[in-house]
Amino acid sequence: MTSPEDALARAQQAAAEKRAGGGYTQPEHRGDALDATILGDRTPDELLGEWAVIDIEPGVTYSTRRAGAPITGLKRLLLRLMRQHLVELEARQTRFNLGVLARVQELEQRVERLEGGSAAPRER
Amino acid sequence: MAPAVHQAVTGAGPYDAVSEQMRAWRRLLARAGYGGADFAGQVDHGARAHFAPLERLEPAPGDLTVIRYSAWSPALGRLLERPGPKLLVYHNITPPGFLWRHSPGLAVQCAVGRLQLPAFVRAARVITADSEYNAGELRAAGAGEPRVVPVLFDGERLSARGRGPDGDGPLVLVVGRLVPNKRHDRVFNAFAAYQRECAPDARLLCVGTALTPGYLALLRTLANASGASNIDFTGGLPQDQVNAAYARADVLLTLSEHEGFCVPLLEAFHFGVPVVAAPAGAVPGVADDAALYTDGDHAVTAELLDLAVRDSALRSELARRGRERLERFAYERTAAAVLDAVRAALTRTPG
Repeated sequence: MTSPEDALARAQQAAAEKRAGGGYTQPEHRGDALDATILGDRTPDELLGEWAVIDIEPGVTYSTRRAGAPITGLKRLLLRLMRQHLVELEARQTRFNLGVLARVQELEQRVERLEGGSAAPRER
Repeated sequence: MAPAVHQAVTGAGPYDAVSEQMRAWRRLLARAGYGGADFAGQVDHGARAHFAPLERLEPAPGDLTVIRYSAWSPALGRLLERPGPKLLVYHNITPPGFLWRHSPGLAVQCAVGRLQLPAFVRAARVITADSEYNAGELRAAGAGEPRVVPVLFDGERLSARGRGPDGDGPLVLVVGRLVPNKRHDRVFNAFAAYQRECAPDARLLCVGTALTPGYLALLRTLANASGASNIDFTGGLPQDQVNAAYARADVLLTLSEHEGFCVPLLEAFHFGVPVVAAPAGAVPGVADDAALYTDGDHAVTAELLDLAVRDSALRSELARRGRERLERFAYERTAAAVLDAVRAALTRTPG
């Protein structure tokens, strides 16, 4: 019997032996797909630029009911009917976002200039 | 007459762990003679019988409001301005980094929720967390010494049996919402390795409601890309069908990167199902030595699954430890802690 305390070491040994014999070749090279979608505390600048432009596809609107397809259809129809208003709303929000983003970038550059480039480069 | 005890949460649904805890507390509170009702900012259609809209919560002077904190909403924030004692139950808030790309709205609720945690801590007379891990986050938010009141685990609800999964071959079960921090991508890769190297007829059953239809579509794509077959997404299931899945499962797999408690661990222990887990968040604190922990290498996870499925002596030992672990979460013991926290919140002098 393998005790729970010994299980990890035994599994590691079995995995190593199988690898030596040509097994376990695929998944570890493929990596974990969600890694690229999980962000740390600081959102990268290029992503902020992407997010500043508000453009919401109708597909994100749906019903949570079990048989909600007709409700989903109705919601999306209403979005289409309101399109003129929603496009204007998105445009005004985007205008503000891009303005703020440009101002932040300007301030960052100013801080860098004032620090005389002596500080360590910041993580982006 | 006993004062009313109300419960409030940002969102409630038919199957999620926080909503289930609210229903379990409500049954206990009713038996102890407390009135009151349960309120949620957003209520999914399957849960409307149990929850009223949060804006209707009007506590009378002296009523206790139990705030279940797992995400922020403006309506929950406004509760802090209401008079009357408050009991904070912290279920943990998912770090927003997991969610920004997949559900910006929920990510905002989580980001603000983490920022606002100190305000909720200051407003509560009694502060509780359902795990030691969550208590640590409360301490960091200035809570001093919060009480650890575990999940109220009622084994009775696990007795009903619905229709279980069909098929032969080892059944690997994954239970929990389909959200990024549960790392189903790692599950698929580890399961693919297990299927290829150890058990070609193995099946993977993923039980849980998806974050969004788009996220479910992404997971289906990742499952296909892993090269594994026999992967089934059931969506959220009624409890009797979840029970049937546990009854037929050979092993429970959880590779979450962030967990505030992980109720499926206790459910697996109840059914004597061995657990293979990533030692993240609250998982080691809840499962302790009753689970097998992977080092994150998919090949090692696959070999641990194989051991958990095939080594009958190991299975028996894990089942024994699981039963022992369950004693720590015995209903009577937790119920006493819940009622003690409620009484303390009702009687403690503010300040």
